[in-house]
Amino acid sequence: MKLLSSILLLLSLSFSAVAEETKSAKVWLERLSSSLKSLNFSTSFVVIKNNQAQPYHWFHGLDENDTQLEIISSLNGPRRDILRISDVVSYIEPESPPYSVTSKQISGPIPAILSGDITKLESGYDFISVGRSRILGRPAQLIRIEAKKAYRYAYWLWLDQKSGMLLKLSIVTKKGQQLEQIQFTHLEVTQKLSETLLQLQSTELPVIVDIPQQYQQQTLQWQVNWLPEGFKQVNSNRHKISLTKQPVEFMLFSDGLVDVSIYVNGTKDKKRDADFVMDGATVVLNQVNKGIEVSVVGKIPSQTAKAIADSITIIPPKTP
Amino acid sequence: MSENKFETVSSCVDNYQHNESTFDEIINDEHLSATWDRYHLIGDVLRNDTPDILQLDLSAEIASAIANEPTILAPKSSNVFALKFKAKVVELAKPFGQLAIAASAAGLMVLGVQTNVAQNNDTILPSQIVQTIPMAGIAEPVSLNFQQPDRASQKQAYIEQQRRFYALLSDHQQQIKLGAVAVNVVDNANKNTETDTKKVNEHNK
Repeated sequence: MKLLSSILLLLSLSFSAVAEETKSAKVWLERLSSSLKSLNFSTSFVVIKNNQAQPYHWFHGLDENDTQLEIISSLNGPRRDILRISDVVSYIEPESPPYSVTSKQISGPIPAILSGDITKLESGYDFISVGRSRILGRPAQLIRIEAKKAYRYAYWLWLDQKSGMLLKLSIVTKKGQQLEQIQFTHLEVTQKLSETLLQLQSTELPVIVDIPQQYQQQTLQWQVNWLPEGFKQVNSNRHKISLTKQPVEFMLFSDGLVDVSIYVNGTKDKKRDADFVMDGATVVLNQVNKGIEVSVVGKIPSQTAKAIADSITIIPPKTP
Repeated sequence: MSENKFETVSSCVDNYQHNESTFDEIINDEHLSATWDRYHLIGDVLRNDTPDILQLDLSAEIASAIANEPTILAPKSSNVFALKFKAKVVELAKPFGQLAIAASAAGLMVLGVQTNVAQNNDTILPSQIVQTIPMAGIAEPVSLNFQQPDRASQKQAYIEQQRRFYALLSDHQQQIKLGAVAVNVVDNANKNTETDTKKVNEHNK
């Protein structure tokens, strides 16, 4: 009896410890989110993937009217800048003339959800506070965003104990293999707006590309029958792939952290076996079955991409 | 040298024997220690553990380096002498230091140019950025009878596939940027949608 009660006591203790960890991990992530939205910071980081390191500058701040100003620019190779003033985001890229979209978040190397509502991730991921280590010369707290099932990768975040800012991010497989890393190399939190952001304040951003909702919500002649839990359809449309001019039917899904694109189009080939490439954590999978080409792109394991591609069925056209 | 002793060395290399006296014997015997070296090298090659640059006799290299090292004599403990000595060292060290910096700067410049070239290549040939990993069950033709034209068309198919992958990847990134809009924007525009996205698509030549 004594033994049983002590076991029960131990169990309840460990359960409460787990709950405590989850709670504290969530508090850390909420702190990160508010730091990313409210601090004036100048940072540099490198994205490490495919044995290459791509350096970036990242500035963020609030002006006297509490308008958010943000710049992320890639430092190597052709210019790639992302500018944001409040809810207008401009992309300056070598492939196209500069354009702006209406959005509160930047789609760049840093997952946008980190500055958004972290509770959206709770259905697909567990938050675990793991321990402390030293990153960028500062004491840092390691928080793991672990996928509940093996269909997704885990995200490990190292957060500055002092400012709550992101110091390092790793995308890790279930087996613990790191696929992509973001390592901060400089972090400065200031009281005033940095010089660069003051310049942005007076900059006129490029024209906003207006995309009405009905364009992004078209009904397509096929459906996806399986996706990992928590993925919701963001949009569906028909467009041409910019580089190959291939017309495709397209759906974009997101679980808050990960975006998955699915492309379906007809092709001359009768059958081509599934083949895929990895760009860091992003898989690009492509297969042809019965003259229908299906491609899946996203930061998901290749097995998940294959399962999604295999689950796609064509809806037979309705006879009038 | 008996066959037996070589066998002892072999078993030592393979961690089968741990006998202090045999180790001592190997160390003290020139032939045996040479054999010891060789066996380790063979083992490394078999395990694919060999370093990029093979330094066959490291110990000899180090010994000769030590032999060439100038003998440092302790200076007399007179203060005046010590000062002079210091000054001389500084004088000697300075030009060397500057030379070293200049050399390393040149090295950096060469490196910089090289990486730039590599990056340019990357943008031209996207196939170098992404690696293809064929899924299980795809057989690569390895037969000797395999015909040349087929190989060419296969290479063509491979290049086409790489192009397809790269195009999909960049389109995915673009769609995410536009997808974020759909989530956030309150739609009240009546503009023709087709032309708008076409605009974006056409920009991406």
